[in-house]
This record gives sequence, C-alpha cells and structure tokens, in this order.
Amino acid sequence: MATREVISTGNELAAIAAVDAGCRFFGGYPLTPSSEIMHEISDLLPKVGGVAIQMEDEIGGICCVIGAAMAGDRALTATSGPGMSLKAENLGLAQMAEVPLVCINVMRGGPSTGLPTRVSQGDILQSKNPSHGDYKSITLCAGSLAECYTETVRAFNLADRFMQPVIVLLDETIGHMHGKANIPTAEDVVAGIVPRKTFDGPAEEYFPYDCGPTEPATLNPMFTGYRYHFTGLHHDKNGFPTEEIETCRKLIQRLEDKVAMHEDEVESYEEFMMDDAEIMIVAYGSVSLAAKESIRHLRKEGIKAGLFRPITIWPSPAKKIKEYTDKIEKVLVVELNIGQFHSEVQRAAARLDIDGLFKVNGRALSPHEIVSKVKEL
Amino acid sequence: MAFNYDKYLRLEKMPTLWCWGCGDGVILKAFVRAIDKMGIDQNDVCVVSGIGCSGRFSSYIDFNTVHTTHGRTVAYATGIKLSRPDKLVVCVGGDGDALAIGGNHTIHACRRNIDMTFIVINNFIYGLTNSQTSPTTPKGMWTVSQKAGNIDPTFDACKLAIAAGASFVGREAMLDPKKLEKIFIKAMQHKGFSFVDTLSNCHINLGRKNKMVSAMENLEWIDSITMPKKKYDALTPEEQLNLLPTGILKEDTEADEYCEMYAEIQKVQQGLRKPISQDDFAKKI
Amino acid sequence: MAASPMVNPGNQPVWVNTDNCKACDICVSVCPSGVLGMKYESTSTLGAMISIDHPEACIGCNECELTCPDFAIYVADSKEYKAAGFSFAKLTDESKERQAAVVANNYMSLSEQGVK
Repeated sequence: MATREVISTGNELAAIAAVDAGCRFFGGYPLTPSSEIMHEISDLLPKVGGVAIQMEDEIGGICCVIGAAMAGDRALTATSGPGMSLKAENLGLAQMAEVPLVCINVMRGGPSTGLPTRVSQGDILQSKNPSHGDYKSITLCAGSLAECYTETVRAFNLADRFMQPVIVLLDETIGHMHGKANIPTAEDVVAGIVPRKTFDGPAEEYFPYDCGPTEPATLNPMFTGYRYHFTGLHHDKNGFPTEEIETCRKLIQRLEDKVAMHEDEVESYEEFMMDDAEIMIVAYGSVSLAAKESIRHLRKEGIKAGLFRPITIWPSPAKKIKEYTDKIEKVLVVELNIGQFHSEVQRAAARLDIDGLFKVNGRALSPHEIVSKVKEL
Repeated sequence: MAFNYDKYLRLEKMPTLWCWGCGDGVILKAFVRAIDKMGIDQNDVCVVSGIGCSGRFSSYIDFNTVHTTHGRTVAYATGIKLSRPDKLVVCVGGDGDALAIGGNHTIHACRRNIDMTFIVINNFIYGLTNSQTSPTTPKGMWTVSQKAGNIDPTFDACKLAIAAGASFVGREAMLDPKKLEKIFIKAMQHKGFSFVDTLSNCHINLGRKNKMVSAMENLEWIDSITMPKKKYDALTPEEQLNLLPTGILKEDTEADEYCEMYAEIQKVQQGLRKPISQDDFAKKI
Repeated sequence: MAASPMVNPGNQPVWVNTDNCKACDICVSVCPSGVLGMKYESTSTLGAMISIDHPEACIGCNECELTCPDFAIYVADSKEYKAAGFSFAKLTDESKERQAAVVANNYMSLSEQGVK
C-alpha cells in the first residue's frame, strides 16, 4: 500500500479521512476539543458536493446525521464527552433502526464540564453503552496521528458493514497533536470503500429488517423506489412497530449477535514487544505513545516489558487479553481515568490482581511515570 | 368524489390505533389528498414524525417514513433535506413534540427557513401518555400533571414560528378538511419553512377531563376558539383574547431558503463564485 | 385489513367499511340529509356501527367522507356515478328534518333508542 506523508493534527486528519472515505454529510456543534474536526470538514465537504451544518445543539447534530444516513449518505458527527451524553438517546435510535454513521469523541476531562481543554480517557465505559437498552457498541481508539486517519476510514466501513453507529475515540492530546503522519493515499482509501449492502430486487420483495440472526439490516437509501419505515420502536421486517413476542426477542438478540458473532471482523490490537514480555502493559490512545517510550527505556535496563494496545476497544479483545494474562503475572493497565478499561481487563483475565496506573488531573502520563510504576510492581 | 386513499396507505396496518373520532385521521386524509393533488411520486416524499399520537402518522402512509425520538423530528428532517434537497420532506409532530422538548429545533428550523413543511398537530395536551400539560393546554384546565388546574401560560405556536423566521405560517383546524387540504398544498408548495398549526381534538384525554366528553363537543370547542384571520383582524383586543386566527398568517416568498444558500457555499468552495459577504444580504443583522 | 373498500359495491352513492368504523358519530353529525345513523352492534367499538339508512337521500356533498378519521365511509365519484346513469338526490326539507331528529337522537338511527 502506498503511503503519503502529511503534517497535520489528529482532528484535521480525522476530517480528511472522513471525506476520503466517502463521507458527504457532517452535522455537529462546537465542543472543545473536537471543534477543529467541524471547522476542517465544513471547508472540505462543500468542495466535493457534500454538506456540513453546525446545528443548534448537540442533539440536533446527531439527529441530522442520522437523517442524512437514512437518506443514504455516509455521515459523521464529532463531539466530546458532554456532547456524547446529549447524543445518547439518538445514538440508541441509530442502533435500533440500524443506521450507519460515525461518531468521533475527542475525550476531555470529565465528568460534566470537567476540563474542556485538557486530556482524559474517561469515556471508555460510556462508549460501551452510551444509550439505554441492549445492543453491541463498536468503539475504536486512535493511538497515533496516522490512526486518527486510518481508524476513521475503518469506522466508516465498519458502520456500513454492521449497520450501526461506530464510535471513534480520540483524546485531546492526539486531537491537538501536530506532527508528521504516514497515511494511505486517498486513491487507496477510495478503492477500499465497502458501501452498505443494498437490495435490488422488486420492491414488493424487499423487507429491510428480514435478515439472518447474525446479519445486519439491508437498508436501501431513501427515495430510490423502496419505501419502508424507520422507527426506534421494536419493529417487524418492514420496520413497522410491533410488540409481538418472538419478533421483539429476535430483534434484540440480532442487534447483539450481528456484532458478537463477527468479532473477528472488528477486532484490532497492537502487540508491541510482547513476544518475550514478562510484564504486560495495557494502554490505548495517547497514553500508548508514552507507554511505548517507557518500554524502550525499561528494555534498556533489562526489564522485559511489552505493550498490548487495543485499537478496537469495544468489543474488547478479551480472548487475546486472556491468552496473555494466563501466562504473564505482572499486568499493568495505564489509563487517564480511574480504571475504566482496567475493569474490563480483570473481567477478561478472570483475575482480580491486575495493577493499574490511573491519572485524572487532565495532564498526560509521561514515560517516566510509567517506568517508575512498572519498577514498583 | 370517491378518493383512492388505498394507493397511499399501508393497508395491512389499518385500522389506525387512534381513538374513535380523533382528528389525526382527518388530518392524515387531508394530507394524502394534498399530496395526490400535487401529483408527487410517492418515492419522492419523506414523512418524518415524532413521538405521540401524531407520531404514528408516518407508519400508516406509504412514503419514505421515519419515526424519530421525541422532539427531534425537524432535526432529522434537516439532515434528510440537506442530503436530498430536491425531495419533498414533511414533518409531523404534536404540540409537545414541536413546542416543548423540540422547541429548540423548531425555532432554528424556522430561523434557517429550510424548505420543508412542519404539520404541528396541536390537540392542546399530551394525548398518548394520558393527559399531561402541554405548552398549549389552556390555563385552568385539568391535566393529570396539574390536577389543581393548569397554571402554565400557553404558546401561540404561529406567533412563535413567525418570530423565529418561518416564511410560511398558517393555522387550520381539522373541522374543515377542505381548508386543511388547501393549506397543506400551499405549505408544501412554498419554498421555505412552512409551519402549519393544525388544531385537533383529543376528547379522550383533554376533553373527558374537562367537561367535553364527546368528539362533537371538542369540535364545537375548537370551533369556538378559532376565527378566520380577516374577521379576527377586525376585532378589538378584548374580543381577540381567547381566539386563534386561522388561515395563512404569513407568506414570504422572497426569503432566502437554506438549501439554496448552501448550494451557494458549495459554489464558493468549488471556485465557481466569490465568497459570500455581507453585501449579499439586504437584512444581515 | 379489509379487502379494498374503494370499489363501489353496486352503484351506491355512499358505502361503508365496517371493519374500520369506530362509531365516533362525526359522519352522522355532518350529513345534511339524514342519510346516516348509528345502530347498536354489541361486538364493535362503543357498541355501535354506522348504518346507511337512507342512501336515496344522499346529495353527494362528500362531507362524511372528508370528516371520517378512519377511512370507513366513501362517496361515489360524481362523474363516474353520473356516467353510470345515476344521480345524487337534492336536499329537501324532509331530509333536513330527519337529520335534526337523528342528531337529537344522540346520532342513533331513528329506529334505535337514542341512548349509547
């Protein structure tokens, strides 16, 4: 795969990636530290005949995006923690009605207004279940400038594959980080676009929500001769509301299984110096950059540390984590929250003795802090 | 004049779940007749509805239909319309949907003057959820959330829409289905944001608890609080106090429409025209 | 979920789809000509059902069809009806009086007791 070298920020790369990946609609609202995504994409989209709109509030932002996706566009919204909280109800409707979209969350200090201009990774648990009810979140986390681009591209393809929202987590550090990145060419990205499945038989034979128990709905874009109903209520194969017992049960189970039974298509992680690791560090996002630096430092001192970095956060790489935690005694989860992914690692490992290095003061973790903690283990 | 509604209905969903005599059905039929008279292909129409009895509107008709979350009808529709500006997009919501939880989206869609029609089925109550006060429930009426009597002042939905910038604002009741059909046609043909306050009866929730048990009594009550604009304008303020004017209350065909303005932005970014500046607008503030 | 009710069941000026009628009385109240009335029907909504008592008095004004919320009553297309050799009635004092009586009878047909 050819690459090109660019100099940019994480936020801008995410915006560029969206447009390259075929996104033609953006709806959102300014929220630090994600606003630059809106600024950049508002400039880019009209050039390619797309639409970007700053709505009156965060909820308007997600709703118009879902509308555009229903009409058939690849659509994006971008926000931070408080905006995710506001968008939760409608993210749930997109899950229920199986509408594909990408929602970027550039994490900042929380909860509530928190620290608008400072970093945290405090939205990990929220990304697993932003909205009420049962469904399976797909959440990716960019761990470098280049991944701000590549993970956004992957998110659009996953959204169309699984017909649901895909959350892409950046954090304030990576969103605002400015530097060099080697990213795929726009041509390769375009060639790699896998759009949503559509039905092209006669309209009388089209049932959008009539699919196998581990398959997503087949939703033809609006206005193309296939008329059906979107709703957040439980619905039958036409999308019409129903309360029929088996239909409801099958629908909810399918929302879970369409992802759970295909985790291999979503799963993504990095194993950095894990081959002979005697200490496993688990980190993601901007913290992973410090973790890698700390590992290089520790290795020089003869300490065999390695990094396991989840790139797809949800569904979590539980099986792979367990493979390692079954053999490695010393496991340290390093994150800018109080153990949100740590609890998942403990669950995956079926252990209660996983160590944690948590920082919640809005500042980054330095390699030095990680090195010191590892030495304490 | 037998009219073929069947073509526009999802027949397997009939009969409707609305109560006997509910005006929603009359409004639905007027809407269907309006679409038919306009000669628009069903595939080119999108109807977006909110939550409430009026929210079920979209499930009965055979267009591209969306049943959204409470209050967000117009926001979803904004995305659909901007994505496909050449299609007909119609929003249907209740008084709670449009004026309470959805108030913000309503006033901003009016402000943007985006080309769509918002049929607000105003039955002066939260009907589906059993009689809670809505922003249009008359003061002093009994509601389940204000059993000692409603103290909440009311919105005049049309005044709100006009103040917020909608370029077509009208009001009709379901008492006269022919007038309803006419105003729907005008609203949908209008280029810009069309707001139609469509008064309806909820005798089961509002009526029964407020000494108007039958559908007929509710219709008489709606008749007593409405008056065509011409006659209304000739009254004194005291006489106007408890009346709502009906008909077309505002019709501005010159106002900039949002999708068309956005097309100008696309031209700017594609190098086909110079950037938009203050000089492009007479009224800028 | 009835079969299509749009088809005129034999050159009638007005006909009903009893599957859809919810006995709301609105059509009876707007008919100027005393054509309609409600009859007791224990198995339907509100225990009543629309009945076309005097089809010969139908003037084809279409008010019943326009105001029915439930797609339960239809009026013949006036062009087709005339082309088939039929015509709607004219409004008479007799039919107006009968309508007033039906309204006074709580919208029930005059053959029924006017209590719901």
